[in-house]
Amino acid sequence: MSKEKNYDPLQGFRRISEMWERQLNGMLYMITDNNEFVRLLSVGTDSHARYMERLRKNQELMAGVMNIPTKKDIANVAKLSLQTEEKIDILEEQVWNLQDSLESLSTGNVAMFQDMVTIIKQIKEESAFIQNEIQNLRQEISQLTDIKQELAALKKLVQPVQTKKRGNELVLTGTGSEDGRG
Amino acid sequence: MIAKALRNIPLVDLKKESLRWEQVYKVLTEPKPDIVPTKREIVWKKNKSTLYYHPAKEKKYQIPVFLVYSLLNKSYILDVGEGSSVVGGLTERGYDVYFLDWGSPSYEDSEITLDNYILDYLENGVKRALRHSGAKEISMIGYCLGGTIAAIFTSLTNLPIKNLVLATVPIDFSIGIVPDKWLNGLQKGTINFDRLSEVYGVIPSEIMYGMFRGLSPVSVSPWVNLISRAHDDEYVKKWRRMDKWTKDSASFSGAAFKQLFNDLYKDNKLLKGELTIGGRKVDLKNIHCSFFVFSTSRDTLILEKQSLPVMDMVSSEDKTYEVFDGGHVSLALSGKFAIFADKWLCSRSQ
Repeated sequence: MSKEKNYDPLQGFRRISEMWERQLNGMLYMITDNNEFVRLLSVGTDSHARYMERLRKNQELMAGVMNIPTKKDIANVAKLSLQTEEKIDILEEQVWNLQDSLESLSTGNVAMFQDMVTIIKQIKEESAFIQNEIQNLRQEISQLTDIKQELAALKKLVQPVQTKKRGNELVLTGTGSEDGRG
Repeated sequence: MIAKALRNIPLVDLKKESLRWEQVYKVLTEPKPDIVPTKREIVWKKNKSTLYYHPAKEKKYQIPVFLVYSLLNKSYILDVGEGSSVVGGLTERGYDVYFLDWGSPSYEDSEITLDNYILDYLENGVKRALRHSGAKEISMIGYCLGGTIAAIFTSLTNLPIKNLVLATVPIDFSIGIVPDKWLNGLQKGTINFDRLSEVYGVIPSEIMYGMFRGLSPVSVSPWVNLISRAHDDEYVKKWRRMDKWTKDSASFSGAAFKQLFNDLYKDNKLLKGELTIGGRKVDLKNIHCSFFVFSTSRDTLILEKQSLPVMDMVSSEDKTYEVFDGGHVSLALSGKFAIFADKWLCSRSQ
């Protein structure tokens, strides 16, 4: 027997079953695709629901008589824990909002401090400049006072010469009048 | 002559055959496998719902992904084990993933409506994912009915949704895979589940499973597939996980069930723009984010025609629609989901 050809005994079975499945599903699809089946489905669902409703009611009644908790009672307790969970979620979100506002506040503060530092630096620079200017002004003032003093000294020096000149002028005018009388 | 004839008789590989039946025996006798999720941590819990965070293996994208699955089945189908996990595929591609597992409601949850699921569970979950990730925006991915929920949520919320991806999403409920007369009966109110929902409070998982089974009552192909490929250990592992998920249906809150059938299946309110959630009208025109919808060519649960109308309903300028090869469930299990989503998301997640 050849060892090159391997026989898969299930290959044919697989193809047939796939075909068979498709055909059966197609057939069921066609059989149920009518108004009668839809009505049957509706009646079936409704009667099942009605039966279940009655069963639940009796169950509740019996549990009430026997004083034992029902599924409903347990569900109500579970709902309480869910409410707590929801409250925790709301609180968590509020904590987030607080965190965010604190963060934005602190970043706002940092920005404000940075502004203040730059303003102070500017003030410092400007005050140094003003001080420099004042010093220059002071120097100029002192120079001006020196000039003033020198001018005053000059004035003093010029004053005696002026008075002498005025005296000579007075003597000369006096001689002339005497001559005029004689 | 005889030797020549013998040469043409195919040989049955006995080793393979014994392995095949050994595996089948194992499947029949051993308990259902445990599902090992992708590395995760719990971010938030509310009632039965849990928000998981799956960190990226090597983070490549700034914008995390938020996964929303259907309410009708259990969400672990999106993280069903290595090699076939949607979550795993996304984390491997560099996305941080947040995954909201709705959980299975119990009797006390009978009054939970779609409004509650969307506004109290999903919106709070997205808020927490944004807070946890520190990201300024998030991408939403909705699969099946989860896609419908994600679309409704995105149209209502003020939270920063950057991208919205909807996979095999039902938007138009006037068409479906059930027989026409059933659909007609549902739309005219002949078939009504209100009383059943009220009396049960929460629709048991067994009834939900029965409903799904009713869509294709004869189902032998999974077993035939298993037997014909049982010699392949990897396939058997995947099959067993899939088999566990198929039979492990979720229960459904009665109030949400009523709303789903009356507002969506019966009145098709989402398509008509008449659906109200939390007192607000749902208008999909309010969706402005980048938008991607994809369907699968062999989907037997959600038809392409059910998804297509959403493309004209949203206001997004950046919108894409694609059809990929695959089935409804195999999309998640084959690992293709993450590939398709990543292809579109990668350029929009920085």
